[in-house]
Amino acid sequence: MTRAETLSIALPALVVLALIIAPLGLDPYGYTLRILCLMLLFCAMGQAWNIVGGLANQISLGHAAYFGIGAYSSTILFGSFGLSPLIGVFVGMALAALFALVLSLPTLRLKGHYFALATLAAGEVARVVANSWTSLTGGPVGISVPYRPDAGFWALQFQTVLPNYYLFLGAMVLVSLVFWRVQTSAFGYRLRAIKENETAAEVIGVNTYRVKLHASLLSAVLTAMLGTLYAQFQFFFDPDTIFGVATISVKMALIVILGGAGRLYGPWIGAAVIIPLEEMANSYLGNSIAGLSQFAYGVLLIVVILLNPRGLISLFESLRDRLKRRQRA
Amino acid sequence: MTKTTTKSPFSLSRRQVLAAGAATALTMPFYARRGFAADTINVGVIQPLSGANAQFGINSRNGIQLVADEINAAGGIQSMGGAKINLIISDATSNPTQAATVAQRMMSQDGVCAVLGAFASSLTLAISEVTERRGVPLLTMSFSDQVTGRGFRNIFQVVSKASQLGSATITHTLDLARKAGDEITKIAIMYEDTAYGTSQAGGLRAAAEANGIEVVMDEAYPLGITDVSPLINQLRRTQAQAVFPVSYLNDSLLIIRNMRQQGINLPTIGGAAGYIIPDFRNGLGELADDVLSISPAAYDQAPEFTERFRERFGYFMVHEAQEHAACMGVLASALEKAGNADPRQLREVIAAETFDEGWATVMSGGKIKFDETGLNIHAVPMMVQWRGDELVTVAPAEYAKAEAVWHRL
Repeated sequence: MTRAETLSIALPALVVLALIIAPLGLDPYGYTLRILCLMLLFCAMGQAWNIVGGLANQISLGHAAYFGIGAYSSTILFGSFGLSPLIGVFVGMALAALFALVLSLPTLRLKGHYFALATLAAGEVARVVANSWTSLTGGPVGISVPYRPDAGFWALQFQTVLPNYYLFLGAMVLVSLVFWRVQTSAFGYRLRAIKENETAAEVIGVNTYRVKLHASLLSAVLTAMLGTLYAQFQFFFDPDTIFGVATISVKMALIVILGGAGRLYGPWIGAAVIIPLEEMANSYLGNSIAGLSQFAYGVLLIVVILLNPRGLISLFESLRDRLKRRQRA
Repeated sequence: MTKTTTKSPFSLSRRQVLAAGAATALTMPFYARRGFAADTINVGVIQPLSGANAQFGINSRNGIQLVADEINAAGGIQSMGGAKINLIISDATSNPTQAATVAQRMMSQDGVCAVLGAFASSLTLAISEVTERRGVPLLTMSFSDQVTGRGFRNIFQVVSKASQLGSATITHTLDLARKAGDEITKIAIMYEDTAYGTSQAGGLRAAAEANGIEVVMDEAYPLGITDVSPLINQLRRTQAQAVFPVSYLNDSLLIIRNMRQQGINLPTIGGAAGYIIPDFRNGLGELADDVLSISPAAYDQAPEFTERFRERFGYFMVHEAQEHAACMGVLASALEKAGNADPRQLREVIAAETFDEGWATVMSGGKIKFDETGLNIHAVPMMVQWRGDELVTVAPAEYAKAEAVWHRL
């Protein structure tokens, strides 16, 4: 094994180890832990998006649809039939796969921004349906996960945030492993061929439609799983939040693009920057001049993207390259 | 990659300097914030201070601020050695996830003894999931039925539920019409397709059905509608005897203006929100006269208190400010009775006592008592009507300050 390879395994292992130990000193109900939870969740969401959006450059702005389907499925099944979210999560994943399949038939033949617009519309359709189908979803008022403080693991509800944290950490590692497997497989190479030049990929014999379809399904299923986890963490959501363009769809894409699209550690870096940044902006500015926090957050994002259009990961790479050159010299 | 490696090595360090500077600037208020004396009581206030509901959030904050300042000026909480109320105010934006995070932050970092908020039901519901698990009381004027419908122990709703508001709107309207010699059998409902509009319209629909009234028009329209004339044309073609529009401010102005321009003088009964704020009158002038609306509280019920709001802020005490002030009043009395700021003890006091002192008296009946679900049993929805620049309570009879003006067909 070369030094670079050792480093590429040791570094993420260290990060995960640090994340396992990190909450032990923290207040198990606490605010810091909640921010870490959101960070892990959005990192996992970004990673799921990365499979299609990063590797194949199919910019989807409708992933909130899968996220919401996952959240609603488990919550409705638990609320109406007492079915554990541990089972409901699979129902949500199956439904999301179905939705992705139906959606893919017309949209996967679209290119570039037409694909982005079509997926954006799909997310909005899901929101409108959830708003209107009141008998199923509870309508625009939103839906609460029934409170069962003593049911424990079966109901996937906990008094403290700590178990949620480890669930999110597990999910984040799982989705990252899936991404890594895809990235290093022949499937991943085909996706990247599509990213570079779809016509050329077809010429050399890649069934681009089928490859994109498989990637979309995989991404949708993982996103739905995270939707259930979110519902069991937040316990209340409404259609405007769960199917939100800014709150979910764009944020997933943003995290990946900011961190580094198509890269395994892209969403890690993206989420580690965006979530605390957003929270700090609200924490310090949300009191004095409301609205300024959102503004400051937006400005900071623009600055970061202008400085590093290829994602923050490029910053680390240039640092590494400099070290290498210095060693050689 | 080749591009960045050929750059001067200084470029990276310059960024680092910038980043370090920014980080320091961002963390400064964090340290500044930690220096509170021990004899203050931190109370969390979460409101939508930015976004679509900002105006309502600011009104709510003003109401709470007024009460807190009055208590502090009068020597703080006596039973706690004159401890001062310190409001920790934060923006919930319009995102429930953010609202819950803010609540978590207040409980962890500021050790708030209770939370007041957050106007919009979706924000309140999200906050309540956090406060419930931590055992911190949450006092609210959000009126969604879900608020007290989930068996939570730590949530207290000072106003009537949405379903009660819906049925009160219909029954009061029928009474007012009957007094004027009209028997209403057909009504029209139009509402914006938001959480607020849909749930309010649902309450009206259910109440109409229960009273055997036919809903001849039941139209949702998108938020931010710019042309309401199709709606009004449709209304004209129906045989409706009264119209119930539910909306925030901009749509309400369009709807009333368009109706009056087309010469439709049907009795109009708004669904709170945009219909009972000063901007409604400012935007419509005389056209606002005689428009009715349901309101969970009315400022003319306790002028000795609510006039102090007008003095300080320059406009009449809108209902969300009044109800949030009542929340703060209940909390102040509870602190006085408990003698300490432990959230669990406060919860017990709030759940057990009847609050009939200070700002708690601005709600109907002059007192507040919560039932086992956390709902204020003395809350009665008011029917108010525009008279010049003021709102006047016209129903129910025992609270009415003036006779209603009813436009006969």
